[in-house]
Amino acid sequence: MTTALTGAGAAHAGPLLDVRELRTSFVTDDGIVGAVDGVSFQLGQGKTLGIVGESGCGKSVTNLSIMGLNPKTARVSGQALFRGEDLLKASPARLREIRGGEIAMIFQDPMTSLNPVHKIGDQIVEAVLLHNDVSKQEARSRALEGLKEVGIPQAERRLDDYPHQFSGGMRQRVMIAMALVNDPAVLIADEPTTALDVTTQAQILALMKKLQDDHGTAIVMITHDLGVVAEVADDIVVMYAARVVEQANVEDLFERPQHPYAWGLLGSLPRLGADVDRLVQIPGQPPSLLRPPNGCRFSPRCPHAFSRCRQEDPRLMPVTDAPEHLQACFLDEETKAREAVKTLTAAAA
Amino acid sequence: MNDDILVVENLRKHFPVARGIIFKKQVGAVKAVDDVSFTVHRGETLGVVGESGCGKSTMARCIMRLLDPTEGTIVFDGRDITRLSRAEMRPVRRDMMMIFQDPYASLNPRKRVGFIVGEALLIHEKLTDAQIKRRVQELLEVVGLSPEHYNRFPHEFSGGQRQRIGIARALALSPKLIVCDEPVSALDVSVQAQILNLLKDLQREFNLTYVFIAHDLNVVRYISDRVMVMYLGKMAEFGNARDLYETPKHPYTGALLSAVPVPDPKLGRARRQIVLEGDVPNPINPPSGCVFHPRCPRFKAGVCDVEDPPPLAHGDGHVVKCYYPLERWPMTADEMHRRPDRVEEPAAV
Repeated sequence: MTTALTGAGAAHAGPLLDVRELRTSFVTDDGIVGAVDGVSFQLGQGKTLGIVGESGCGKSVTNLSIMGLNPKTARVSGQALFRGEDLLKASPARLREIRGGEIAMIFQDPMTSLNPVHKIGDQIVEAVLLHNDVSKQEARSRALEGLKEVGIPQAERRLDDYPHQFSGGMRQRVMIAMALVNDPAVLIADEPTTALDVTTQAQILALMKKLQDDHGTAIVMITHDLGVVAEVADDIVVMYAARVVEQANVEDLFERPQHPYAWGLLGSLPRLGADVDRLVQIPGQPPSLLRPPNGCRFSPRCPHAFSRCRQEDPRLMPVTDAPEHLQACFLDEETKAREAVKTLTAAAA
Repeated sequence: MNDDILVVENLRKHFPVARGIIFKKQVGAVKAVDDVSFTVHRGETLGVVGESGCGKSTMARCIMRLLDPTEGTIVFDGRDITRLSRAEMRPVRRDMMMIFQDPYASLNPRKRVGFIVGEALLIHEKLTDAQIKRRVQELLEVVGLSPEHYNRFPHEFSGGQRQRIGIARALALSPKLIVCDEPVSALDVSVQAQILNLLKDLQREFNLTYVFIAHDLNVVRYISDRVMVMYLGKMAEFGNARDLYETPKHPYTGALLSAVPVPDPKLGRARRQIVLEGDVPNPINPPSGCVFHPRCPRFKAGVCDVEDPPPLAHGDGHVVKCYYPLERWPMTADEMHRRPDRVEEPAAV
């Protein structure tokens, strides 16, 4: 089983998931919060897209919007084309069909995303029955297959265990088994390893990689951890205060980061192999999305900001000799190249 | 020795596990900390790393005498504090402070910042209100907040700022030792770098000694002079930060280091990870012999599962509890499996 293409979807050419100018805002008592402001990206068959950013930058809301899982106070505009079909316009019934079927999600905290009062076998069986016209027995055998595939020992016996009887890493495996049981084309993973210890994280990332190779699933990996995206992603979107500030393939982003926020992030990471005396720190904190700063939203914290940055919104523009590498910063390319080298050599000292 | 501010010997903390409703009877014990010995030099940072449940926080609470150790001795600043009563502990407490993980839970939401930071001064020093206020405002400036924040409540601050308040509180009485329990793990990377830099600056300025507990190996490497690796309540390895990270001797340390995601796609994908099998065992019924043996790639039946390995010195204060320490680093999983028949015996500590 190499592809998960079915029915009409198989005929669609172009990216599997094509998000265009997505905007999401929430109406609150204090005003309107623009949680996502003009995010666009494409995800190809079997590829992994990493969305990185700090808490509150809109990376999770982006994906909740695509899946139609936002609360009712949300206003969403733009397009999210899955095999050419706009998910933002899809009916609730159609969305239910897609969610857990063609697009599956896994979340950060496997304890709160599993129902504590049902056996995990029954929870996986439910996912199978919702999307397939099969007998209970068949569903149960698929659930068992799934558990075996994610490496749960004694899977037969564990089908009848409750979530609390599993460790954190095992619970996340169960979540992955549940997400993949219907062979989705896209898996959206929202901080799937953040709650786990490093050795468990390594197990789960290796497992996701293997399953991706076996099934050709495309993955959207949402994380705050640059290390994780460097390991698993093909392309990376860097978000800051609801907007995309930089977008590139993984090698380009880490070799020649263009945006001062990306330099800050890379410089502020302590690293295993480096004796750094002092980390680069980004002063201040992310702005409130109720009243975002004028112009470039990073300008109040940016050491390179000049007057234009505070007046004009920078647009995502391609880098001259790398049209796929997009960035939203007014600095000239020479300065950027110099600063990027400075950041990277300092970090790896 | 005179320059050791803290000497911990054979520390054990066992929590009894009881069965029965009316007639409680002890049926076992959670061996949260089991026979841990180490020293902390004046003015240094001792990093303690390990995965969740390895006993690092319990150990911190024992050192602070927030928990009563089951066995062992704790000598702080030349005085045995293991069995001191509450009243006897009181004057000692001003010299040892703690910074906690969750900056939301560790500040009383109903008290103003001025009171939170100044409470210790109120208890331990005979100062007038005006003197306390002046001292608190000084402290707020030292940690990078503004003196005007004196009258605000914790909810008015962001996570990073709250952690600064927690640090100001810990500094109030100019303590000799500060135990930091995961002080940055709840923060975003850019804010994390600010706090780590602040802790380093304060250490230089006030000649502080830190015991720094974290699960993030990168963070520990950046801040620590010496590092202790814990696994399932026991010390696995202890050494200078550089030695331990560059030439780890314990297979567990090796596995941990290789599991950390590298924020550089070229380096990260080239390295071979050692992915450990299974989960951390239950501390109620820890494995016999070396507690790591069920997951260890170097396990040898009849040796590792018989007796807990004694601490062996590998030069320059580098201590390892393993019968088959790693000969070199880096190593692939295969190389790790090929353990020598019998390692030359390093001197016992």
